[in-house]
Amino acid sequence: MRVLAAIVLLMATACATPKPPAEPLAKSRLAEAEGRAAAFARSGDYASAARFYAEALRMATALENADAVAANAINLSVVQQWLGHNDEARRALAAVLDDPRTPFSERRKLQAELRRAILELSVNNVGAAAIWAAQAEQRCASLSCEYASTILNVRAQVELESARAAEAERLAGAAAEHAGPNAAERANALRTMGRARHAQGHSAAAIEPLQRALALDRELGDPRKILADLSELSRAADAAGDARAALDYRERSLAVSRAMSDGKSGSEMEALLRR
Amino acid sequence: MTKLPPGRFARLALKVNAFLLIAFLLAAAFIGLVAYKQGWFLRQSPIHFITPNALGLNKGMPVKLHGFTVGSVSDMRLTDGGVDVTLLVIGDYMKRIPQGSHARHAREAGVIGASVIDIIPGKGSLPLAEGALINFEPSRGISEIVDDFRRQAVPAFNEIKAAMGNLSQAGQDITQILTGLRREVDQLPATHRAVRKLVEDAATATADLSFQTTATLDAVERVASTLDRTVPPLSEKLVASMESIDAAAGQLRKTGEEAQITLKNARPLLDQSESAAREANDVLSAAKRVWPLSDSFKDAGDGMLPIDSFEANGKGYAR
Repeated sequence: MRVLAAIVLLMATACATPKPPAEPLAKSRLAEAEGRAAAFARSGDYASAARFYAEALRMATALENADAVAANAINLSVVQQWLGHNDEARRALAAVLDDPRTPFSERRKLQAELRRAILELSVNNVGAAAIWAAQAEQRCASLSCEYASTILNVRAQVELESARAAEAERLAGAAAEHAGPNAAERANALRTMGRARHAQGHSAAAIEPLQRALALDRELGDPRKILADLSELSRAADAAGDARAALDYRERSLAVSRAMSDGKSGSEMEALLRR
Repeated sequence: MTKLPPGRFARLALKVNAFLLIAFLLAAAFIGLVAYKQGWFLRQSPIHFITPNALGLNKGMPVKLHGFTVGSVSDMRLTDGGVDVTLLVIGDYMKRIPQGSHARHAREAGVIGASVIDIIPGKGSLPLAEGALINFEPSRGISEIVDDFRRQAVPAFNEIKAAMGNLSQAGQDITQILTGLRREVDQLPATHRAVRKLVEDAATATADLSFQTTATLDAVERVASTLDRTVPPLSEKLVASMESIDAAAGQLRKTGEEAQITLKNARPLLDQSESAAREANDVLSAAKRVWPLSDSFKDAGDGMLPIDSFEANGKGYAR
């Protein structure tokens, strides 16, 4: 009887679930800061998002959590760029790019380099953008990584800004091929392809990829990209001699611009319509 | 045989008998008290019902009327129609159970409380007779309760999911509302200072006005005396006007004070609103982790913001 009781007790002990260890306070604070930053970014409060990403970066640094340091630094750079604070965005990326001691993963390094390339290109530092994009491409292992299409798109834009439209078109085509399920990058590639064709004087041929980009961007629901597509379409249609289509695209882009409360772009478009 | 010494054990038998008598009386009093507490001395009237299934019913189970214990289950016997259950209700309470009443099997605290027989009073005007047969409503099984809950909860969960989806699509995060609220609260001290400054300015203006009024009145009096009361109606009108201005300034000061009090009262309300919103956020966070909803709230990716090559095109397409 005693043996039976001992066996039952042993089985009950074996079946018992151990109490899950409590998460350390600093880790839970880091997760909370990251969560709040993401929520602010989603809601469009970029200043608050930047504040919480900076806080998360500080906590991740204190915890020597390399992956969290890189992730928060990259996110901080994105939000700072959205705020127009390009120097702060560059400084945030320095936490990854200028720190040889911390063992960041190859993926995080690639993300940081790509972000730096995008940032440099946005302020027209074409040379620096080309260098950072090349470094990211080298790390992308023969363009087999998930960021292949993004890298190719950045390179295509670099070529376009450097007045090498034919090479830009080729790279944009490759970016569209590598985009896979990433509809945003496929749309970016098609837009760049349309711009490259327009720059080469093939304005009629530019319409088709731009229309495909517009359709994708409307599905994605990003008004900035829709505005860019419509603006490029109006230019291409105008250059192709289709004044009516150009006017239609201009009016549509003006409506989008007004809806976005983008006064500057709206006034530019109004000036174009008055011509 | 040893003889007991005289004196020490004198009247021993009497003492033992007295002790036994007292002990007996105490025991009888205790038993009587228990019997009284158990209602043995109360007249109890039987009523009964027949149920096809007596699962969950036991002898001694309390019988309640409006949540108040009025009796207990005294007997259960198998009959042709199922089980005949006899309830003994304290006689005084029988007059409160009208004809048409029925019994139901219930639990005191929802699903997990103690089982009781609950008498639901009928609409009749006369009380139930002793030994009356009443209807019985058996309790619902846990599976029925779960089914019922599921029937009611599933549409609610769907609505919550739809609402969350809409909220997310519209970009109106609760956090944004909180931020707006927090911004308003942050501005409150500045508003408070502005109101206080307004009140102080009003007080200063009132003092100056009073001083000037007095001076003006003196001047008017001097003029009036110089003119030898040639224009007394004019003087009276001037005094009345000055009093009106003074009263208006007083009203302004009072309004300022009321605004200050209102702001003080509003502060805790806003604090409570923020606290309530934060708690709602916590509840939502907890709800997101619960199984039926968790699938709807899975975060996409690894918490990274999108690395989008469109951002390289910085000219004119800022967020």
